[in-house]
Amino acid sequence: MRLRGWGGLMLALVIAAMSGLPLVVKSPFALDILIRILLFAFIGTAWNLLGGYARQFSLGHAAFFGLGAYTSTLLQIDFGISPWIGMFAGGVVAMLASLPIGWLCFRLRGPYFTIATIATAQVLMLIFLKFRDFAWGAEGTTIPNLGDAPLMMQFEGKAPYYYIVLGLLAAALGITAWIERSRIGYYLVAIGEEEDAAEAVGIDVPRIKRDIYMISSFLTALAGTFYTQYIYFIDPQTAFNFSISIEAALVSIVGGVGTLLGPLIGTVLLETTSALLQSWLGNSVGGVQLTVYSLILMAVILWRPTGIMGYAAEVYARRRQSPASG
Amino acid sequence: MAQAVINGLLIGGIYALVSIGVTLIFGVVKIVNFAQGEFVMIGMYISFFLGAQFGIDPVVSLLVSMPVLFFAGVLVQHFLIRRVLGLNDLPQIFLTFALSLLILNLSLMLFSANYRTLHTSYSDDAFHLGGLYVPVAKLIAFAVAMVLSGMLWVFLRTTDLGKAMRAASQNREVAQLMGINPNRVFAVALGIALALAGAAGSLLMPFYPAYPMVGQVFVLMAFVAVVLGTLGNVIGALIASLLMGIAESLGIQFIGADSGLIVVFLLLLTTLAVRPSGLAGGGRR
Repeated sequence: MRLRGWGGLMLALVIAAMSGLPLVVKSPFALDILIRILLFAFIGTAWNLLGGYARQFSLGHAAFFGLGAYTSTLLQIDFGISPWIGMFAGGVVAMLASLPIGWLCFRLRGPYFTIATIATAQVLMLIFLKFRDFAWGAEGTTIPNLGDAPLMMQFEGKAPYYYIVLGLLAAALGITAWIERSRIGYYLVAIGEEEDAAEAVGIDVPRIKRDIYMISSFLTALAGTFYTQYIYFIDPQTAFNFSISIEAALVSIVGGVGTLLGPLIGTVLLETTSALLQSWLGNSVGGVQLTVYSLILMAVILWRPTGIMGYAAEVYARRRQSPASG
Repeated sequence: MAQAVINGLLIGGIYALVSIGVTLIFGVVKIVNFAQGEFVMIGMYISFFLGAQFGIDPVVSLLVSMPVLFFAGVLVQHFLIRRVLGLNDLPQIFLTFALSLLILNLSLMLFSANYRTLHTSYSDDAFHLGGLYVPVAKLIAFAVAMVLSGMLWVFLRTTDLGKAMRAASQNREVAQLMGINPNRVFAVALGIALALAGAAGSLLMPFYPAYPMVGQVFVLMAFVAVVLGTLGNVIGALIASLLMGIAESLGIQFIGADSGLIVVFLLLLTTLAVRPSGLAGGGRR
């Protein structure tokens, strides 16, 4: 548990270092990769609250990403409301949606919870594909480009986007660190370890699961708004893409589920690999990225099921036990 | 209406092969195989290449796809699933999920996302029964699917290995005490389940295009059918699959051309809402 203190220090250092990056990194290509890393680290951190600490393995977080993206875009295009407000409106919509979704899915455990979450995200995507009068149907829509309009979350360069998503990630990590230390954090870990036992010692398991699902969905929805503003486009296939759900879970598992920095470290590893592959092979061959991701995922599951952070904690604990070797 | 029911019933036979595989693996090994659909896809590509290169009829190439996938099942059990048995949910869920992603994306690299179709002499033929239209290819697929399901049922009831498999699915510890070797039983269960998926793929080929993502539709159908038919129950999965085929077909008929999947997902979510106790056998550990 000593790693916790170090985690906080490391986190502060990492964030300080990352704040300065856009001053040094000027290439839009590199900044784009950094923004992707921060974005998926953010989504992964949101997923990790539910999937990592409470070990409810959702593969349907695209549902909340999409709801966030659509809420802010609809408010912006139909009512001229700034995405800065729409972002939080989307978060609230996602949070409210998590109540019925959770009510359904939490009736199941293990793999069947996972399957139910996949189904809910797919149903939402199909609904948005069908209803063209209300949300542009399958064609989607582009976000009107207003040039440099900070109040509408639109900027000339990529650096402001970088700072927004860095802020989101810092907030999510802050929330996670706070939850880790609070009572609810211990409840979550207890639920993750053995749900029935947690119930037996008097933890209100359904309530805790519901609350953490709400927080996790709220955060995921913010990412949806950000991403739509960043790429100036929305359609059901992008907003509810299954690969968002997959990557949210993947980065956490590879980095280490139920650890503060796991999702960030997992994202850095996976996204860097993916960027290197892309610069090496180009965009021409489909499927390369997910092939490599799935191989990494398999290797982690078979050899290091606690992820990179879990492994680091083991090594650290071993070092402490035998100080002579240090 | 009656036409939609017939179409649905015939495709339901294919869903049955896939869901029987899923339920068999779940019943015996207690693992949900997220990659089942990808093995259907492999079966389709095997039949496609044998058909396109050598002119072998898909129903005949069943004799290739089934043994190949049986062997693949034994390998998957030996090298992957065996290593996560007895561990917690995370490796159990994400191992087969990773396998599914891997096979899907490898095929995307190898075969590209293009649709491949195989035209057989009977692909366009159909019987006409009192105004109803029964496509020959789908009828053959349905008939073979029912024969294979029947053979599996007989196998599980009458042979020692089949009985051992049922015993292992009812109570693994007791079965082990009775001298049943779980690794062998598990390997055979995986082999049979994947062979059925391969058969489904071959049977689909005369009337359904092969492409890397094709398995996803089938595996989602199978999950719903397996939940409806109670986890681990072979007959339940069979009947549920046929009903699902009909429900999907009626959904397409009455709601719109591409909404079959919506009907199926809604069915799944309604089942979960109304009858979560039906899952007591496995979904709730």
